[in-house]
Amino acid sequence: MTVALILIPLAAALIVAVLPLPRRSTEALALGAALAELALGVVALIRFDTTKGVQFATDRLWFGDLVSKADARFSFGISGLSLFMVLLTALGVFSAIATAAWIGRARPRAYFSLLLMLEGALVLLFTARDLVLFYTGWEAMMIPLYVLIGVWGGRERRRATFTFFVYTLVGSLLMLVGVAWVGITQGTFELDALQNAGITDAGPFFLFAAAFCIKAPIFPLHGWLPLTYRESPIEVTALLSGVISKAGAYGLLAWALPLFKPVAEDYQWWFAGLALAGLVYGSLVAFRAPDARGVIAYSSLGQMNLIVIGIFALNADGFTGATFQMVNHGVASLAAFLLIGLVELRTGTDLFRWLGGLANRRAALSTVFLFATMFALAVPGSSTFVSELYILLGAFRFEPWLGAAAATGIVLAAMYMLRWYSGIAHETEGERVDPATPDLRPYELGIAVPLVLVLLAMSAWPSGVMERIVS
Amino acid sequence: MITLAADTVPVSWSAIAPEIVLLGCACALLCIAVFMPRGLARVASAGVAAGGFVAAMVVSVTQYEDTARYAFDHTLRIDSFGQAGRLVVFSAGLLAVLVAWGSPWLRDRAVECFALLLTAAAGMSLLVVANSFVTVFVALELFSLCLYVLVALDVDDLGSLEGGLKYLIVGAVGAALLLYGSALVYGATGAFEFDRIAEAVRAGDNRDPLLLTGLGLILVGLGFKANAAPFHMWTPDAYQGAPTAVTTFMSAATKAVALVTTLRVLVVAFPEQSELWTTLLAALAIASFVVGNLAALRQTDVKRMLAYSTIGHTGFLFTAVAAKSVLGTQALVYYLVVYAATNIGAFGIVAVREREIGRPVQIDDFRGYAYRRPVLGVAMIVFMLSLAGIPPTAGFIGKLTIFSAAVDSDLTYLAVAGVVATMVALVYYLRVPFAMLDREARVPIVRNRTGMVPASLAVAVSALAVLVLFFIPGPLLDVAKTAGQSLLGG
Repeated sequence: MTVALILIPLAAALIVAVLPLPRRSTEALALGAALAELALGVVALIRFDTTKGVQFATDRLWFGDLVSKADARFSFGISGLSLFMVLLTALGVFSAIATAAWIGRARPRAYFSLLLMLEGALVLLFTARDLVLFYTGWEAMMIPLYVLIGVWGGRERRRATFTFFVYTLVGSLLMLVGVAWVGITQGTFELDALQNAGITDAGPFFLFAAAFCIKAPIFPLHGWLPLTYRESPIEVTALLSGVISKAGAYGLLAWALPLFKPVAEDYQWWFAGLALAGLVYGSLVAFRAPDARGVIAYSSLGQMNLIVIGIFALNADGFTGATFQMVNHGVASLAAFLLIGLVELRTGTDLFRWLGGLANRRAALSTVFLFATMFALAVPGSSTFVSELYILLGAFRFEPWLGAAAATGIVLAAMYMLRWYSGIAHETEGERVDPATPDLRPYELGIAVPLVLVLLAMSAWPSGVMERIVS
Repeated sequence: MITLAADTVPVSWSAIAPEIVLLGCACALLCIAVFMPRGLARVASAGVAAGGFVAAMVVSVTQYEDTARYAFDHTLRIDSFGQAGRLVVFSAGLLAVLVAWGSPWLRDRAVECFALLLTAAAGMSLLVVANSFVTVFVALELFSLCLYVLVALDVDDLGSLEGGLKYLIVGAVGAALLLYGSALVYGATGAFEFDRIAEAVRAGDNRDPLLLTGLGLILVGLGFKANAAPFHMWTPDAYQGAPTAVTTFMSAATKAVALVTTLRVLVVAFPEQSELWTTLLAALAIASFVVGNLAALRQTDVKRMLAYSTIGHTGFLFTAVAAKSVLGTQALVYYLVVYAATNIGAFGIVAVREREIGRPVQIDDFRGYAYRRPVLGVAMIVFMLSLAGIPPTAGFIGKLTIFSAAVDSDLTYLAVAGVVATMVALVYYLRVPFAMLDREARVPIVRNRTGMVPASLAVAVSALAVLVLFFIPGPLLDVAKTAGQSLLGG
């Protein structure tokens, strides 16, 4: 099962790249593969047994015996957290491919092949139970990203790629040294064996934390984020914010903390403090951003830092909230960015000064936008509200005033999200908006509505997600 | 005590069987040049050269055994470490023949080219099992002289001549230093054979200035061949000027034999001075990281860029040598095989593109190439990722094993330096995939496709090797481990 989840997108990537099909067939093939992956993910969700831990496991020797130091293994398995990360990936890539097909990207075979490759790498990373394998997925996800941004990005794509590239590589190569260190000192790369390693060396912990915190990103390691989110093709931005940033949080949760528990406790304050700064900073800048992408980009920074606060509360409530928020924020920011993409397609811009008044005569568009806004600002009753509440609860348990300070993030979220919504949908009609600008077409609704439905479903039954995710 | 045992040295033909095969084929080629008409000679010479390499490979594989033995008194040491080095050389030779086939410069000089290639390979093959400084020097000169000529073989091209001349002068200096160093070590210990040097050092003064000076000079001499900074200055010109098939061979084979020899000399002959040479190697490694990668950033010519990248990789290889452990040797052998496959493939693609456009290949000449030739384009991307050490390519596992060896031998700072170097390196490696996938480029159709099949085959084989060695690295790592144990014991 797990292996199939990894191989379907990779095989599809190869087929799409090799077969000289016309555009329509390429799109259909890529979309079909993404749908199959999503369906298989749903099957895994249904068959997932909350009473067991890691499931659908496969384990075979890869290479090893580095002079009886450590074996690297092809070891995959799905934990509760992995399950939802895989589902989020499948949903995200499906929506991204659907959007890309609608926008009509140049060189479709290469483009879709890269998106599917990215999906395969992400699933590998989320299901790996071996450190070398995890690192493989981590690095393998970067390469398609660099190319997608560097080749298909906006006008400043070269600078954006370069910045993104330098930041993320610094992190991941430092992690490689950490991987070698763990293998040599612990004699194993397996997550299950390392789970209670309780390593007390701070140096290697920071080698790992650097990679994860850059990816998430934690303040002040977010320097790559604004430019990258602005210059990437919109569906790639959606994936970056919705799925790939979660890989950073996942790395912290699933690898760095279990391996280095004592060190994490020592430095708990540093991480929680920086994340708090990031939450406030991101939220404030989001409120001042002149463009729709900028608002969601910085809000994404704030939200990821909120998740990190939940993680570094280092208690059960914090973990529950952080993991659930990873899923919620993932879907919500996918929806927000893809909707911006549909607006950009109509108006050619995402600057507020050229937008506005789209709600007028465009009922479907404004409704979907409103839903996305509501979820992003965590309106009571929404799934995001539940997860943010848990994070705050965890933060209070750890240190009351940290919880109080983090709560400001939620107030700020309401401010910038309402500004975002009204900047696009309300106010006077912008320069680039004319009466002929169409409402959402049925195909576009097909992209956006499922995301909203997923969010609604999670709001209706949050415990359904949470009991699986922490199992 | 000096033992001159000229009349008692037992001759062991099997120890030099691969060299005999290769030199025999080279002689056969010279006969072909005389007795056959031009056109036929060209085809026959390629066939004989390829056959020679295959035969040498078969001979080495059938002789392959885990136990080490000395031959010709102690001048040769046939062990699986040396045998692994030999196999790298022969595979590189075979693939270089494929890459060379069909090149315009080869038209009038095929026989000479292949004869020199076989002779160079024979020299290299002897060098990797050499256990005495005399043998080292003879073998080194044998293959170096052939390479000087091979680099300058395209006499119609000024760059080729320039590269050949620079290589000749700098290479001669390097060889002279090596010889001088050997003489000093002989003066201090009374022995040329590595194991006897170590014995003499253990029995005597291991801080003898004569000995240490000799060791330093030997290291410098080997550094020239291994493209280590600051002894790298011939590399860019020679690599860029040489006919691309020759560069292919040099980058894979010369590098492998230089590193194999460096490791053997240092750990077998000078184990008592290991602290000293570890520091020296670390310094050379860091210098190579800095010089190679920073200079590569500014290159637009693909061959020149890869030449500088080769200097940068010496840093990694020296890191593995400096670990001076079985794990380090294992990492070195694995990395050398992967590195050879990667470089052969990358230069092979450059050779193909060069023939398509009829001039030296700039990075811009690859714009949109992946859309025109998907297989070669994807292969080139694979090679660049492998050089950068990014999964899913074998270069990643190579880098991981080297880092493991470094951490294991308390050389973590070298691993960190390697990480920084890789970060810089990625900037220029990834330029190639970016150009390859440029969505706006229009690549004109090229009609000149004659004789591309063998070169493409070499590229495909290399790409497959780089991918397969990622997913199934076990067998090669096992071979590398026994090679390490055969050298170091344990």
